[in-house]
Amino acid sequence: MTEIEITKGAIALIGYGLAAIGPGVGIGILAGNAVQAMARQPEAAGMVRTTMFLGIAFTEALALIGFVLFFLA
Amino acid sequence: MDLEILAFECETETDVVCTPPFVNELFETPDVFELFGVGVNRAMLLMFLAAFIVIAVLWVALRKRSVVPTKFGAAIEGLVTLVKDEIATGIIGPQGAKYAPYLISIFLFILVGNLMEVTPFINFPITSRMALPAFLAILTWVIFVFAGFKTQGLGYLGHIIWPKDVPIALRWLVGIIEFVSIFLVRPFSLAVRLFANLVAGHVMLTLLLVTGYVYVTGFSNATFNGVFGALWWVLALAIFLFEVVVSILQAYIFTLLSAVYIQTSVHPEH
Repeated sequence: MTEIEITKGAIALIGYGLAAIGPGVGIGILAGNAVQAMARQPEAAGMVRTTMFLGIAFTEALALIGFVLFFLA
Repeated sequence: MDLEILAFECETETDVVCTPPFVNELFETPDVFELFGVGVNRAMLLMFLAAFIVIAVLWVALRKRSVVPTKFGAAIEGLVTLVKDEIATGIIGPQGAKYAPYLISIFLFILVGNLMEVTPFINFPITSRMALPAFLAILTWVIFVFAGFKTQGLGYLGHIIWPKDVPIALRWLVGIIEFVSIFLVRPFSLAVRLFANLVAGHVMLTLLLVTGYVYVTGFSNATFNGVFGALWWVLALAIFLFEVVVSILQAYIFTLLSAVYIQTSVHPEH
């Protein structure tokens, strides 16, 4: 492996790390609020869970795109 | 076979650090045999196996309609009812029953395909090849666009590129954003989500298991390496269980998002 390839890999790794920050915070907030909603209103737990999974799926996409770009780089 | 190649690359005499040859090695599926001029590889064979498993399971479980179903039949019935009631009619509404067969099909197919990742001796999720998630996403795309045009006519497109409830100065901008996000970003993110989750799991399991293997077999002179290798395998086992959850969840999410997309085109914005 040449110097440039290693540097490229390292930069791609940093890029993936940066891409994971936002979704990490977002999923944390989302799951926390979902737990709060379920605790406050246990009878709505099913609906909240479905919506939570939806939200997580949308939020997670950014991190996953970062992950794919890491392999493409 | 991969294990041999990877272990071979470690220069145990000179360097402790192993350099895996290339990550692309995980993404190559060589042809197994050739049929009528078309190369058949492992992913294709496993795809047929997954389809066969889905059909066989449904046939065995639901072939006899009796008042008291068998245990297996009741379990599969529960799965089908979950998709039909919770996802199809639960999200799309009363018209959702029409889309239930499609949603059940993709749910079971993706579920079986994902679980191949953690099936011993297969260890290869067919959904970690971009072709399959992309195809399924395009299928969902075609269905929700078609459903939109069928229920709302040309107003479906009109609603998206010229939304009436937005101030007139911003309409073109919102229209462009909506158009791009609905027709381009939706199928892309749907496919990439499934693909990337499964690739991440596959790569992670491969790395952990291979590292354990290399530790146990690769070095001859150190004493603690066996212990380290076993620890890597323990970690791999934990990730294995995590990947079972991820497989089920991703199949569920793909189906759920397909249903949500169909719902947004069947019901116009309120």
